[in-house]
Amino acid sequence: MAELKTKNHIWLHIGLISFTLLAIYPVLWVLALSFSGQQSVGLIDLPQDPTFLERLRAILPVPEHWSVKNFTEVWTEQQFGRWLWNSVVISLMTTLLGVFLACTAAYAFSRFRFPGRNLSMLAFLVSQMFPGTLMLIPLFIIIVKQLELGNTYIGLVIVYATTSIPFCVWMLKGYFDTIPYDIEESALIDGASRMTIFWRIILPLAKPAIAITALFSFMTAWNEFILASVFMESEANYTAPVGLRFFVGGFSSQWGYFAAGSVIVSLPVVALFLQLQKYLISGLTAGSVK
Amino acid sequence: MNITEHLQRSAALGMGIGMLLLLVLSSWMFRSEELDLGVQQRERSAVLQANALVLAVADTDAVATGARVRLMQQQNPQIESVVIIAGTQMLASTRAEDAAPRQLRREEKPLYDLSNLIRTARETNLGEEVVRKKTIQIDELPKGRLVVTLPYLSGGEYAGILQMQFLVAKAARESGSGYMSVLLLFAALLVGALLRLNAEKRFDPAKLLALAAFLLLALFYQQQGQERLERVMMQDNRAIAAQYLAAAEQYDRLGYLPLRRDVAAANLWDTDHYQRPRGIIAADGSVVAEGEAKQLAQRAGFMRPILWSIDLLAACVLLLFIYGYAARAYAAFRKHLDAYLYVAPAMIGMLVLVFFPFSYGITLAFTDTTLFNESLPFLDRLIGWGNFRTILGDFNIYQETADGFIWNYQNFYWTLMVTIIWTVTNVTVGVTVGFMLAMALNTEGLRGKAIYRVLLILPWAIPNYITALVWRGMFHPQFGVINQVLQMFGMEPVSWFDGVFSSFITGLATNGWLSFPFMMVVILGALQSIPKDMYEAAEVEGASRWQRLRYITLPLLKPTLIPAIVLSVVWTFNMFNIIFLVSGGEPAGANEILVTKAYKIAFEQYQYAYAAAYSTVIFMILLVYGFFQTRITKATESF
Repeated sequence: MAELKTKNHIWLHIGLISFTLLAIYPVLWVLALSFSGQQSVGLIDLPQDPTFLERLRAILPVPEHWSVKNFTEVWTEQQFGRWLWNSVVISLMTTLLGVFLACTAAYAFSRFRFPGRNLSMLAFLVSQMFPGTLMLIPLFIIIVKQLELGNTYIGLVIVYATTSIPFCVWMLKGYFDTIPYDIEESALIDGASRMTIFWRIILPLAKPAIAITALFSFMTAWNEFILASVFMESEANYTAPVGLRFFVGGFSSQWGYFAAGSVIVSLPVVALFLQLQKYLISGLTAGSVK
Repeated sequence: MNITEHLQRSAALGMGIGMLLLLVLSSWMFRSEELDLGVQQRERSAVLQANALVLAVADTDAVATGARVRLMQQQNPQIESVVIIAGTQMLASTRAEDAAPRQLRREEKPLYDLSNLIRTARETNLGEEVVRKKTIQIDELPKGRLVVTLPYLSGGEYAGILQMQFLVAKAARESGSGYMSVLLLFAALLVGALLRLNAEKRFDPAKLLALAAFLLLALFYQQQGQERLERVMMQDNRAIAAQYLAAAEQYDRLGYLPLRRDVAAANLWDTDHYQRPRGIIAADGSVVAEGEAKQLAQRAGFMRPILWSIDLLAACVLLLFIYGYAARAYAAFRKHLDAYLYVAPAMIGMLVLVFFPFSYGITLAFTDTTLFNESLPFLDRLIGWGNFRTILGDFNIYQETADGFIWNYQNFYWTLMVTIIWTVTNVTVGVTVGFMLAMALNTEGLRGKAIYRVLLILPWAIPNYITALVWRGMFHPQFGVINQVLQMFGMEPVSWFDGVFSSFITGLATNGWLSFPFMMVVILGALQSIPKDMYEAAEVEGASRWQRLRYITLPLLKPTLIPAIVLSVVWTFNMFNIIFLVSGGEPAGANEILVTKAYKIAFEQYQYAYAAAYSTVIFMILLVYGFFQTRITKATESF
């Protein structure tokens, strides 16, 4: 019996390993492309009538010549550095604004009972159902055409920050609810104002939740593509996602730059994601699992 | 006496605020109507001249056309320029630098697009015998410039477009009566101050008196406003008639178009945006009383419900005050000031950037806004349910031809079908692969679980637009890795984005790759929470592997799996990035899903209103789905 089990596991391992290789192949392919130092979508120049082995070599995710040329040129020859800077600034501003707005609102929802409280919370929840494309056209008309905030940081930042509010508010409210009210009460008796309590007591206590909310806001802005491509028309104002598409969309095909840029953009996000996945999953399915 | 007590005794504040609201809203309404009339008047004058010119060059050869266009432009100081586009040719132009006739340049493609748009509009109108597409496009430029584009006909057939740019000064208007508003406000305050309210009694005569006086004043003000508008419209008609007569005599003198003196003939110059004669000015330049009465009645009929809702709103405000609700609301606001201050920043942000755009989008769906007419006043663009009729009422899904039938990829129902197939197949693939991997990783005593888990979760961690572009590269028809593998095994390479089915596969593969980790993680979590002794007990009872899966694993997975599927259905339904970036909906838009289609209508065809209506339909679908989703989730909870 025991012998049978180990044998089964070998087949399972073989299956799992082959599937895993298949699954991470695109990742390896991008890595290989980024270190290949060339721009073509193929890793290897194939001869006229390639043999089986030559073709096999072409699909192996190993570059013909190792080089960091793509990584250096994407900074020096291309505007990628600028795009990345745009993305960093926009994402950080979004995070700051989004977290500030979410914290104050969540605090009020958690600590005060006031007329209109339930209605506002419901409205926040319902707004999550509005489809992106339905919002895209009015936002384009309002922000770009009316307010003329196209091609500016502030236009994207206020849109990103507000769209991330509902999720952040619900998440923070849940956390604030777990902070015992006694602490505030005794502070109130000691003569502290609401403002002091909020800044000095609640915010420091809610640090972990605020960190998660901040990361969520950051990642929303960092990975967003559609709004950015509609709002940012001039090349100098592209964010990293729009810029990466610029490398390989339309008529240009600079796959090497795209691959190098992708690696640079993905690394922080992937690292964060792997760290935070358990919170994300519990947040997504919270309430559905009894 | 503090504010609260005061609010309960006196009607002055209620009357004042109610009247102020009424005056502001009504006068804003009248002002915007008047502005609208002004714009319409300028447009009407421009359309009149454009229609005349199109008729004057309808049956002339190229040389004469050019000459007539130039002469009219020189003789008429309002006309800044005239261009005639036929196909890809610029047939005539009054601008010297254009050097017409010549081929259109690349940067002039919008002109060519506009020509096609108008051609389609005209053909739709002719084909359906229902006039619903505007054939005259008008755009307003800064500094009082108007651009009018209309079909250029040659020998009765569509031949292209004629575009004219006008510089039309704003018509002088009699100035509004501001003193009247001040007088009414004062009267309302006076009545309010004289009345003493009894807070306890529900049917207090003073309250009824306040309401009656308020409504009287309101109706008087609005009646005045209506009459003023009617005077403006009648003046405008006289002005257009005079302009028409002058122009008609000019064309007659030059021998371009004969002036018809018979009253009964339709005036083909003074038309609406669908090129239908308005029937207000006769062919001899006299004003048709019947037509004018109809025009006035139409405008009044349009204004009435709006004015009534303003009355209703203002009266409600008054009632809130005299019945003491305002006092209570004020007290509540004072009491919860802290809370409102904390919520305000987020709430204002949400109102301005989420709820307002949302309602704006829904409103936009009832207009015919495009890139070319977006600066027109709102009322001019309002068309009602037309967009929804076009989207939902078009069942032209396939056409039968000699060799079988052709699908109409632009049809809404085709796109809906593709979206549903897309969602179902993707979720199926995601759940199946995720389930199998989770089962494999849940095997007891398996080594290296953590490594597998981290590697298999990678596809989820990478930003999805990058994933999409990577797969686009791998599906490259010539150098793509996937075709290399096919050729390695002696198969023919596939040009993935040229076939409807193969193109669909590219999206499916990409999205499948990106969505299985989520399912895997969720299912794995649920599997690990199933107690081991249940399986052991079943094994002792002699249950087979299949029976254990069917009667233990699946039922216990259900409460986790159903919400995860519900969630991933919405994600996949709205998965813009994959379709947009991998196949782009190729070939010929066949693989577009609803959201990418809406995007393309808005930002590649510039049909903002149509796209908004399209998005509204998508929202409705999601809403219906959301309704069933809560029912499904509730149903599973009872298990």
